[in-house]
Order: sequence, then C-alpha cells, then structure tokens
Amino acid sequence: MKRIVVFISMILVLSSCGEAPKKSNEINLYSQRHYKVDEQQYKVFEKETGIKVNVVKANADELIERLKNEGENSPADLFITVDAGKLQKAKDLDLLQKISSPIINQNVDVDLKDVNGYWIPITYRARIVVYSKDRVDISELSTYDNLTDEKWRNKVLVRSSSNAYNQALLSSIIANTGEESATKWASKLVKNFARDPKGNDRDQVKAITAGQGDLAIVNSYYIGLLLSSENEEEIKAGNSVGVFFPNQGEDESGSHINVSGIGLAKNAPNKENAIKLMEFLTSESAQKTYTDTSYEYPANPNVEPNEIVKKWGSFKKDILDLNKLGVFRNKAIEIFDKSDWK
Amino acid sequence: MEIIKKIVQIEHKRWIIGSSLIALFLLLPIIFLFSNIFEIEQSSFVYLWKNLLLDYSFNTFYLIAITSLFALLFGIFPAWYVSNYKFKFRVFFDIALFLPLAIPTYIMAFTYSDLLSYTGPLQSYLRNNYPDFSNIFNNDYLQIEILGILLGLALYPYVYTASRVSFSLIGSTYINMSKNLGLSSTKLFFKVIIPLSKPAIFSGLFLVIMEVLNEYGAVKYFGVNTYTTGIFRAWFSMGNENTAIQLACLLIFLVFIILFIEKLSHKKSKFYYSANSKIEKLSTPTSNKYLYIYSLCSLPFILGFLIPFFYILNNSILNFKNIDFSRLFELSLNSIQVSTISTVLIIITALLFLYVEKISKLKLSTFISQVTSLGYVIPGAVIGLGVILLFTKIPMLSSYSLVGSFYVLIYAYVFRFLAVGKSPIKSSLEKQPESFDDTAKTLGLGPFKILQKIHFPINRLALITAFIVTFVDLLKELPITLILRPFNFDTLATQTYEFAIEEMMVESSSYSLAIILIGSVMLVFLKYIINKQINAS
Repeated sequence: MKRIVVFISMILVLSSCGEAPKKSNEINLYSQRHYKVDEQQYKVFEKETGIKVNVVKANADELIERLKNEGENSPADLFITVDAGKLQKAKDLDLLQKISSPIINQNVDVDLKDVNGYWIPITYRARIVVYSKDRVDISELSTYDNLTDEKWRNKVLVRSSSNAYNQALLSSIIANTGEESATKWASKLVKNFARDPKGNDRDQVKAITAGQGDLAIVNSYYIGLLLSSENEEEIKAGNSVGVFFPNQGEDESGSHINVSGIGLAKNAPNKENAIKLMEFLTSESAQKTYTDTSYEYPANPNVEPNEIVKKWGSFKKDILDLNKLGVFRNKAIEIFDKSDWK
Repeated sequence: MEIIKKIVQIEHKRWIIGSSLIALFLLLPIIFLFSNIFEIEQSSFVYLWKNLLLDYSFNTFYLIAITSLFALLFGIFPAWYVSNYKFKFRVFFDIALFLPLAIPTYIMAFTYSDLLSYTGPLQSYLRNNYPDFSNIFNNDYLQIEILGILLGLALYPYVYTASRVSFSLIGSTYINMSKNLGLSSTKLFFKVIIPLSKPAIFSGLFLVIMEVLNEYGAVKYFGVNTYTTGIFRAWFSMGNENTAIQLACLLIFLVFIILFIEKLSHKKSKFYYSANSKIEKLSTPTSNKYLYIYSLCSLPFILGFLIPFFYILNNSILNFKNIDFSRLFELSLNSIQVSTISTVLIIITALLFLYVEKISKLKLSTFISQVTSLGYVIPGAVIGLGVILLFTKIPMLSSYSLVGSFYVLIYAYVFRFLAVGKSPIKSSLEKQPESFDDTAKTLGLGPFKILQKIHFPINRLALITAFIVTFVDLLKELPITLILRPFNFDTLATQTYEFAIEEMMVESSSYSLAIILIGSVMLVFLKYIINKQINAS
C-alpha cells in the first residue's frame, strides 16, 4: 500500500513540474538559436505584449523530425534556424505555412526574403575568408575559387563538412556553377588543407594566429565575437587576421551569405501571436539588439551593423535564392564525401 | 497439448508475463525503428560502403583502442596500489581517483582544448614570459590521440572501481601462495592478480567502450568521424534514415561481439572470490616503490579531476558577478528532480527484470533481461527519435501529444540507462546462494514477500550503488534531453553544452561546476558504500 502511495505521489510530482503550454496568451518556439540575446529579445517582447514565449532549443534537423512526426498535434508556432537550407527543408516537408504581414514585409531587405513567402530572415552573415596579416598580402586574394590555387598548398583552414555552414557554402557553389565545377573546387581545396578539418570557426582563426595555416573560411560574426572578447589573447588573435569578402568582382557572384530565419509552423496554434513576435524581431529596436550582441548583419535595411562589423566595409552579397541552399544539400554532402573533405 | 501443459507448469507465470510486457513496452521505440530495416535501399548501403565505412570503422576502433589503453593504465595500477599497499593518503586517493566520473566527457574535452589552445592560459603565459620556449607547445591539440587520452581520463574510474573491488577480494590466500612460490611482486601482479581479475576489469572496460561508442559532442569537435557521428550525418544532414539505421545496426553488432568476447573470458576463468579471504594486511612498500605509488595514483587524479576542476572553478570566480544564481538554482533543481525520478524508476525496473530472471530460471527471462540492456549501446539521439516516432505514429498514442512531456522524457531515460542501474544489482544478486530463496519458499513466503523481506535488505548497498551510478549518468545526459525536453526546460547539462559549443567557456563554467559538485558529492558517498561492501564481504 505504501508503495502505491509513493508511486502515485511520484506521478503527481512529475505532472507538477511540466508547464503544459496553454493556448491564447502564449507562443511556442522550436529554436536552433540559443544565444543570450534571444532570451533578452523574448523578455522585452513579453513585457511589451504580455504574450509568454515558450522555447524548446535543439539541433535544427532534430526539431524538424519532431515537427514532422508531431504533425497536426504539434504545439509549435515558429521554427527558428540559423540556415535557410533548413527552412527550405521544413517547407519541403510541408511543415510551414505562408506568412503574410505588411509590417514584416516592410521591415526586411528584399534580397533576403523567401521568394515563396514561407519564412522570414532575422539576421544574415557572410562566409568570408580571413588571412594572416603577417604572411598574406591582400592583393593575392580574390574568389572562393582562388583558394584552390596551388600557391595555397597546406595553407587553408576550415571546419568539418558535417557543419551546416560549409554545406550551405558548397550548395551555393553548386547552384552558381554546377555540380561538376563544385566537385572540382572541393577536391582541389582539400589538397590545400593545412590540417584535417576540426574545431569550430573560432578555432580556425586561432590556428592562423598559431601559424598552423594562413587562410581560413569562417562566418563573419565570429571575428566580431573574437574582437569583443573579454580574453585579451582572443582579441589579439582577432586582430592578427584580416577580413576579406570573396567574389566581389563585377562578373562574380558576390560573397556567400546565409540567414538566421523563422518559419511559421503549418499547424501553429497561436498564429496571431507568432506573427506579432516576427514583427517585433524584425523591428528596428530588436534588430539593433541582434547586431550589437551577435555581430550579425541586420535583416532590416534601416538598421546599421555594429561598429566593429562596419569597419570591414560594405560588400556585394550573393543574391542567390537561399532556398537553393536546402535543395542542393544532399548533393553537397555527397561531393564532400567523394572529395574526402572530412 | 504438451506445450500448453508445460506453460501451465511454469512457476511464477504472472511475474514472467508482467516483466515480458514491460520489456516489450520499453523496447517499442527500437522495434519501431528497426522495422524499417527491411526497406533498405541497396544504393544507400553501397554509398556508405564506398565512401565512409572504412574511415568510420578505423576511427571508431582506433579511438576505442587509445581510450581503453589509457583507461586501463589510469585505472589498474592505482587500484592495485590502493588495494594492496599501505601508504599515506591511501584513503584520500581511494576516493579521489573516483571523482573524474563526475565530469562529463564533453566538458573534459572542451575544457582541455580551451586550456591548451593558442589563446588559452598555458600558451599565453609561456608566450608572454618565455617566448623562445613557447613554440614547443604551439601544437594542434585537436588530435584523435589527444581525444583518446581525454576520454581515458574521464572514463578510467569504471576500470578503477571494477579492479579495486576485484583486487581486494582476490584475497591473501592467492597472494601468500604466490609469494611462497617465490614470485616477485611484479610477477605476482602480472601473472596472478591480473589474470584472476580479468572478468572484473573487462566489465569496467566494457562500460568505457560503450561510452566511447556513444560519445558525440567531443568527437564532433575534434573532427573524428566515428559510427555515431556517421549516424547523425546520415540521418540529419542527408535525411537518409536507412543509412543511419544500418550504421546503428552495425554498432549494435559490434557491441554483441564485445559482449561475446567478455562471455568467453568469463568462462575461462571461473572462480569465486568468496572462497578466499580478503586482503587482511596491507603490505608496506619499499622506499623505491613509493615513487611509483605516488606518481601513478596522483597522475590520473590531477589530470582527470584537479586541473579541469580548478580551471572551471577559476572561470566561475572570474565570472562571479555575471552568474545568474536564481537560474543556476533552478537548473540544478531541474537536473536533480528529473534525475532522481528517473533513477528510482530505473532501479525498480532493473530489480524486476533481474528478480524474474532469478526466480523463473527460464532462458526466455534471461534473454528478455539482456535485451532490455540494449538501450545503453544505442546513441541517445537515436533513442530520442525512436521515441518520437513511437509516440506520434501509433494512432492510439499520437492523439495525446505526449512528446515534449516529462513522461516521455523519463521513459526514454529509463530505456537508455537501465543497463547502468542493472549491473551493480546483478552482480550482488548473483553472489547470493539459492538456498535463501528456497528456505523462504519453504517458510511459505510468496515471491513478492521474498523480494521485500530478503532481497531488498540484503542488496541494500547494491541498490544504493545502482542509484548513485545511474543518477550521476543522468545528471550528465545530453542528447535525449535536447531532443525530447518540454518547453522552457533546461538542465545543467544542456545549459553547459549550449555555452560550450559557442566556445563561451567562462559563461558555461558555473553550470558545469554545479554538475561536477553534485556528482562528486554523490560519488564520495558511493565510495564510502563500496568500501563498506569490500570490508563486509
């Protein structure tokens, strides 16, 4: 008898610690973003509107699986990722619905918008080349293709091909130049690797400072994060490299960019609140918060990038339909495997 | 007819059927997942074979080999010294050597790579003070060999504990006999003690290998592609479930081979500790030996616990004014609460399976009990996805939208960690003679009463051990929590990981420190219990 009492009380404890999200004045997010700045934004939104923001944070692909399997019963209103390819994947699996809001439409840059209207951008970042200021002359740099030149043998640093940023970069190259030329690019670049791919983007910058290579392919905001670090050594590392935007020539595609974006879930139970949050996150004040803490570029053209980022100058973006980053994802991974990019 | 008669004759039918149903319930996600295996497309397997399998296999085996080597080195020698010799701080080392278990493998890996990196404290210090000298240390530390050593440091306590118990129980009879035969202490160790303790050492090593096979965060960061990274890549990046399941099958097959080898080694060396007396008198080492003892006992402790602990502690102090104490408290409470509830359920389930296995004496029950341990070898995220599939695809369950509730999260934990809770209880139950049950039966006690009146009190210490070991493992759990957790639910582990993958080691420090402290307290308590067991037998 005693056992049964214990068991029942345990189940009660269990239920009490679950805050089942209720309808109406709430909104449920499945998010890949897990930065402090996001929490700040949601808090401000809660204060302004009284709508409570509930979040589950995990890997984008895992969240897509969860969304897919939950189907109509999914509690999720919004799906937030750091890669347009994943948004395209979600749309492809019929997990998203069209977003229509004149406010958002006005808030975000035309170049970054989803042509089909299923997701919106909140910030964007460029996949750039950084170089050792001591050992590389900036005039030697030009395009992503240039990185495969023999003069860079054993000099190029980049992270693993499991990483979504690299997958997106190669997808963009497939979309722009075709499969054959992308395959050639990848296998030639692998020959120039200074070491086996490993670590994250910041580690590639540190490896340049440590002299293990001369060039690295990284996301732009990591340089901003290094330069604003509290660790003096990291600031030094950030200062030892120069920022270069590839593919800026007249007949060239521009530097590869990708967005952090939001999709509206097909079965969103709190659709109105969801749209309100998207309107808030693309508003000028929220966009300013993003750029000043994460060093990404704002999706709202009325907001300027952070001072550190502004110093690198403006650049020509690759205005490829970002959905292509998802369309060519599998092809890109196949090419990575074939070219032995670990 | 015959069969029906036989079934009717089987004792404890209700127990057997009950446990079988629970086993089936636990295994459902995996059954669901693997039912897809018959739909394998050949092309995906060919692709796997051609491009990746060789690389994945090599890395997996190589990493297992290095980790095992260091886990054995760090585990066996100190265990022998502590069990056999008298020296100052012996009791301290006995506890201290256990503590690295409180540090999750991914924290160990991230901490050391931060510590050793170009912008880390070691290299910065050398660069600023001894510029000529500093270049020696300017290396790329993200190597598979380094990862193996780090995993060895985080996991050797499994080997240490297993050998420590075994060494203490082998007993003075063997040792005295060998000494009388003129064996030197080195020879005694390699020719007698190690062979006799092989099964125990292997059982510890088995846990180490399972952890390596399951490792994801650290392996990915170091750019080492193992089967587990392959599963994730195939499933998530390529959206190819079949390839992922094939790799998971391969992983399970590998584990069966390892288990089979273990069984063989068990059979060869069958002997009973209880026939011997335990070591009664500790030897006094020669002055030469002290050097070995102190260096070999302190090395794993310093590298595996002290250095990462102080580094994390230092980071927390530096970051003290930014620590959000209410959040830290909330997450600690979350971690403790969810781990405690799951652990209790795991222990009850484990006890049920083992007890039925004991009383029924049916091959089927043994098989069922073993199959439910399978969860431990399947990567957490695969279990998580199996669970999602189960609760969303079965019409009866899907209408309740259970995914994202604590019930489902804890259900997945139970399946994943059942084996961890089972192993201490199992070895304790095996030691008891059948006569206990028989006597109780003659006295008219039913199976439930026998469990309550006899096995519960006798195995009390084993149950506590099982509780702590499982609890500490759950405290560190990451992949299942990430994928199945309810809204707004964070644990210490998820928060630590989220900061760590963004290389925000300083911000993550207070949360990882909490994991380490809670784990350490539990482990010190556990060590106290294990020693009680050693002294009592």
